[in-house]
Amino acid sequence: MNERFAAFSFVDRISRRTLQHIEGQYTVPAHATRFPASLMAEAVGQLAAWSAMSSHDFSLRPVAGLAARTRYLQAACPGQTLTLEAEIVRCDAEAIAYGGRASIGGRCALELDDCLGPMLPMEEFDEAQAVRRDFEMLCGPGAAAGRFGGVPVPDLEPTEHLPGRRLVATLRVPGRDEAPFFGDHFPRRAVYPGTLLLDALGRLAVTVADEARAERDAGEWLPRTVTDVKIRTFTPPGARLELSAELIDVDTHCARLKLAARGDGRSVASAKIEVGAAPEVTT
Amino acid sequence: MSEQAISQQEIDAVFPKVAQIIADALGCDVEDVKAKESLIEGLDAESIDFLDLVFRLERGFGVKIPRGKIVEDARGPLSEAEFENKGIVTDAGLERLRSFLTEVPPERFRTPLKAADIPRLFTPETFCKVVVRAQRAAQAAA
Repeated sequence: MNERFAAFSFVDRISRRTLQHIEGQYTVPAHATRFPASLMAEAVGQLAAWSAMSSHDFSLRPVAGLAARTRYLQAACPGQTLTLEAEIVRCDAEAIAYGGRASIGGRCALELDDCLGPMLPMEEFDEAQAVRRDFEMLCGPGAAAGRFGGVPVPDLEPTEHLPGRRLVATLRVPGRDEAPFFGDHFPRRAVYPGTLLLDALGRLAVTVADEARAERDAGEWLPRTVTDVKIRTFTPPGARLELSAELIDVDTHCARLKLAARGDGRSVASAKIEVGAAPEVTT
Repeated sequence: MSEQAISQQEIDAVFPKVAQIIADALGCDVEDVKAKESLIEGLDAESIDFLDLVFRLERGFGVKIPRGKIVEDARGPLSEAEFENKGIVTDAGLERLRSFLTEVPPERFRTPLKAADIPRLFTPETFCKVVVRAQRAAQAAA
């Protein structure tokens, strides 16, 4: 199967576009095995990326960099359609600055504020002409539905655990042949998506928050807000990363934690997270 | 391009806030942010940190800092060809950099200096001056 423009592409159609604003949609395939909430942020980021790439005639593309705040308000389930919007605050040869949201059935499911993606040469990641054709398809009839099959549960092995305070685990990033998404992210250079890294970090945070809270049977806690995300380096297939979630504070409503990912002795990513009552799921 | 010199008083006025923004961006203690220490060599800053920093300074001070503005200002009146040759800063470029980045000790201008390594020279004071220039530009435009 050709994974390009399929295994990790989360915009099916672009319905409206100006220099400062872009709208589109994405339907989570009914057969998708797993669609973590962080992929809604990926979808909004990819919509903004289409705007940035077309503005630079597909000679440059943005990659994940900074996200000041991501709010998770609702989960997305297989079969549901996300309405995507992004506001482009600034877009030049160095970076794109944007914000945006994803909605399900008219209700906001995710908000992204103050994101910044460094622009890099397209040729490192994909073939410009092919990307241009994909963009024209998205702006015209739209892409074929159901291309995404799901992503695996992160392979995490705890290495240090102070219940309710700190959890450190090794993340085994899948090999190139183990995960179809590497063929799409990106066709010429496989990079472990930052949104999947945040999904893995979020799982550690939920474990620590659950241990830290006083009333553990008062409903499920999940990531609600992620702030100060910074992706510093690319993570290749097969990498081993040390992930950590450390409690900052906790009350009856939520817990706040510091997140970090390290590889080869250097920082790969960092963020803060608030974990609290689960978002409402619409069916 | 000539500009009115930035006084130490102007730098001191913005430094506490700039230092806090740098500490937030780099995840270090504000006490570790020294005005004349290289951000890359002293605080392990990377290119994404500079993007983050400029973004935070814009929001923190309510100013616009055009991308690439620091290097553009550093080049001053010199053309790109006068400033660098095959990626190496020329003698004229070095002279211009020394006069522009007065906060950088002379011994840190090693030669040959790659243009791509210019950010290695940047210190917190460099960013204080960026903020002061942006504030002046905003006032001039008002």
